[in-house]
Amino acid sequence: MSIEPFNRLVKLAARAFYDDVTTKGDNQPKTGRGDNRGIAVVVLDALTRRQWVREEDLAKELKLHSKQLRRTLRLFEEEKLVTRDHRRETAKGAKIYSAAVAATVDVQHGGKEGEEKIKLHTHSYCCLDYAQIYDVVRYRLHRMKKKLKDELEDKNTVQEYVCPNCGKRYNALDALRLVSLEDEYFHCERCNGELVAESDKLVAQDVGDGDDNARRRRREKLKDMLQKMEVQLKPLMEQLSRVKDLPVPEFGSLQAWEARASAAGRAINGDSGSNDLSRSSQGYGGTPMPFLGETKLLGPAWQVEVAFSGLDGKEEDAKSESAGTSLKVLPPWMIKQGMNLTKEQRGEVKQESKTDGTSAQPDFSDDKKSTIGTDDKKNLQDEYLKAYYAALYKKQQELEEAAKKQEELSDIPLSSSHSDPSKRQVGMKVKRDDDEGDDDIDWEEAPLAGNTTESYKVNDLNVEAEASGDDEDDVDWEEG
Amino acid sequence: MFFHIVLERNMQLHPRHFGRNLRENLVSKLMKDVEGTCSGRHGFVVAITGIENVGKGLIRDGTGFVTFPVKYQCVVFRPFKGEVLEAVVTMVNKMGFFAEAGPVQIFVSNHLIPDDMEFQSGDMPNYTTSDGSVKIQKDSEVRLKIIGTRVDATEIFCIGTIKDDFLGVINDPTTA
Repeated sequence: MSIEPFNRLVKLAARAFYDDVTTKGDNQPKTGRGDNRGIAVVVLDALTRRQWVREEDLAKELKLHSKQLRRTLRLFEEEKLVTRDHRRETAKGAKIYSAAVAATVDVQHGGKEGEEKIKLHTHSYCCLDYAQIYDVVRYRLHRMKKKLKDELEDKNTVQEYVCPNCGKRYNALDALRLVSLEDEYFHCERCNGELVAESDKLVAQDVGDGDDNARRRRREKLKDMLQKMEVQLKPLMEQLSRVKDLPVPEFGSLQAWEARASAAGRAINGDSGSNDLSRSSQGYGGTPMPFLGETKLLGPAWQVEVAFSGLDGKEEDAKSESAGTSLKVLPPWMIKQGMNLTKEQRGEVKQESKTDGTSAQPDFSDDKKSTIGTDDKKNLQDEYLKAYYAALYKKQQELEEAAKKQEELSDIPLSSSHSDPSKRQVGMKVKRDDDEGDDDIDWEEAPLAGNTTESYKVNDLNVEAEASGDDEDDVDWEEG
Repeated sequence: MFFHIVLERNMQLHPRHFGRNLRENLVSKLMKDVEGTCSGRHGFVVAITGIENVGKGLIRDGTGFVTFPVKYQCVVFRPFKGEVLEAVVTMVNKMGFFAEAGPVQIFVSNHLIPDDMEFQSGDMPNYTTSDGSVKIQKDSEVRLKIIGTRVDATEIFCIGTIKDDFLGVINDPTTA
C-alpha cells in the first residue's frame, strides 16, 4: 500500500485549490499580520506526513495557534478532505494514542503534554481521508469544467432564480408554479416576492448585452479560462489518473487505527519498514528506531520524549531547554545509550521527512553510503568536526534568518534543517562530555542537517540535491 | 417521442354494465379513464389503439363490482432531453415564454432565447428581433429543443431552448 502518490495528489490539490484560502473569522479585520494565506497548504502538507494526529500536537509542531489550525481543519472537514474525531479522554487515553504514534513510522511526533494531565479533556484528532480526497478532487475538477463548458455553449444551462427576500432558490423547471397572474414576473411561493434570475456567470456580462462584440469577447474569455485551467491543472489530473488504480490507503477510524498501530508498529508502512530493517542491519546495527521490532523493548515513552526535543528545537533557545529537560528524565545509567539514540533518532526523523517529499529509494541509498563512508574516515572526521564546528555554528545563525523567509514555502524541509543543526549542537556538547566515539554518527547527521540551505558545506551532495530539487519542483509547479 | 406500448390496468365495472355490451362498456370506460393521463414512467397516454386481452373478472365482496385486468395497446408521448419539438406559444412574459406541445408544457427562459430578440411589453407581449422580422408572441409556433425535464408521478414539465441552429419561429400567426 503506497501512500506516496496519494500524498502527492494531496499536495497538488492543496496548491491548486487552497493556496490563497484564508480562514478567518468574519469579524477580524484583514491586516497584514493576520493574513494567513498559505496556511491551508502547510497544514495539508503536514497531514500527508502523518496519519491520525492530535490537533494540539499538530498545532504545536506547525507553530500555529490551535484556534487557527482548528479553523483550517474545519474548512478541510467541510471540504471532505480530512476526517476528524473528537473524544473526551483522560491522560490514559492520551497515552494510548501516544503509544500508537510512537509505533508508527512516519509520525515524528511528540505526544508529551497530554500525558501529564489527569483531567478529562476533549481532544480532537484529524486524519486525511485519501479515498474521499480522490473523489472530491475529481468532482471538483468535473464541476469546474462543466461550469465553464456550459457557459461557453450557453445552451444547456437551466436558469436559476432566487428570491431576494427569503433566499429561496428555484430553477426554470419550477416556472409553471411561479408564474403569477398579475404581472409578468415570477413570484416566490413562500413570500410572494419577485424572483430575480440569478447570474452566476463567470464572466461579468457587459452592459451592451446584445452586442455581438461583447458576446464574442466573453466567449473568448471563457475559452481562454478553460484552456488555462487545462494547462494549470494538468499535473493534478495526471496524478489523479496515476492514482486511479492504486489501492487507497485507509487508516480507518481513530480507534481502529490506534489499535492497529500499537499492535503492529510497522504494519502500516510495510515497505518503508522493510527498508529500514535492511538498513539497520547494514549501517546502524542495533540502532533503535521507533518502528523496528527490537526497539519495542525500550518502550515508546522516552522515544517520544526524544522526538519531542528534536521537533521543537527549531529555535535555539527553546531547544537547549527542551534538550536539557529530556536529559534529566533519563536515568543516569541510560544516558550514554540515550545520547546515542537521540542522534540516531534525530537522523531518522530528518530522513523521514525528506523522503516524504520525494521517492523514498534514492534517499535511503545515499544514506547508506554516507554511513559506510563515515566509518572509514572516522578519525579524520573527528578532528575535522571539532575545528569545523565553531564556524558552522556561526553560519547556521545566519542561515536561520534566511531560512525563516522560506518557511512559508515548505514547512518540513525547513524545519528539519533548522532543528537539526541546533539540536546537534546541544547533543554534541553533551556527548563530548561522556563519549567521543559517537562522533561519527553525529557527523553524519551534521551534513544532512545543514544541507537544505548550504550544500557546499557537506560532502554528500546527493542527498542535498535531491532534497532541494524536490522543493523546487513544488515551487515550480505553483508558478506554472 | 411517441411510443406504442402495451399497458395493463385493473378496471372496476359496475354491475349495471353487465350484459351484452359488457366488453364495449369496459373499453369505453378504459378510454375515459386513461386517455390524457400522464404517468411519470410512460409519459402521456395519447390514445388507446386496441385491447390485447381482458382477463377473468373478479367479483368484489359487498359491492358487486367486478375487477377486470385489461391489457391494452396505446400511444404514449414522453418528452426527452435533447428532443426537438414543435410547440405553440401560450404565454409570453419578461422571464421567457411558455409553449405547449400537445399535453406537455415547456418553458423557454429569456436567456435561452437568442440574444438578438428583445422583450416588448404591451398588449401583446412578445420577443422581437431588432429589425422586427421575427416575432414570438402568443399562438406563434416555435421549434424548440428540450434541455431539461421534470418528471413527477403525474406530471411532466420541460424547459427548452430556441438558442440553437434551426430553432425558433416556424409560423408566425400575424403574417399568415
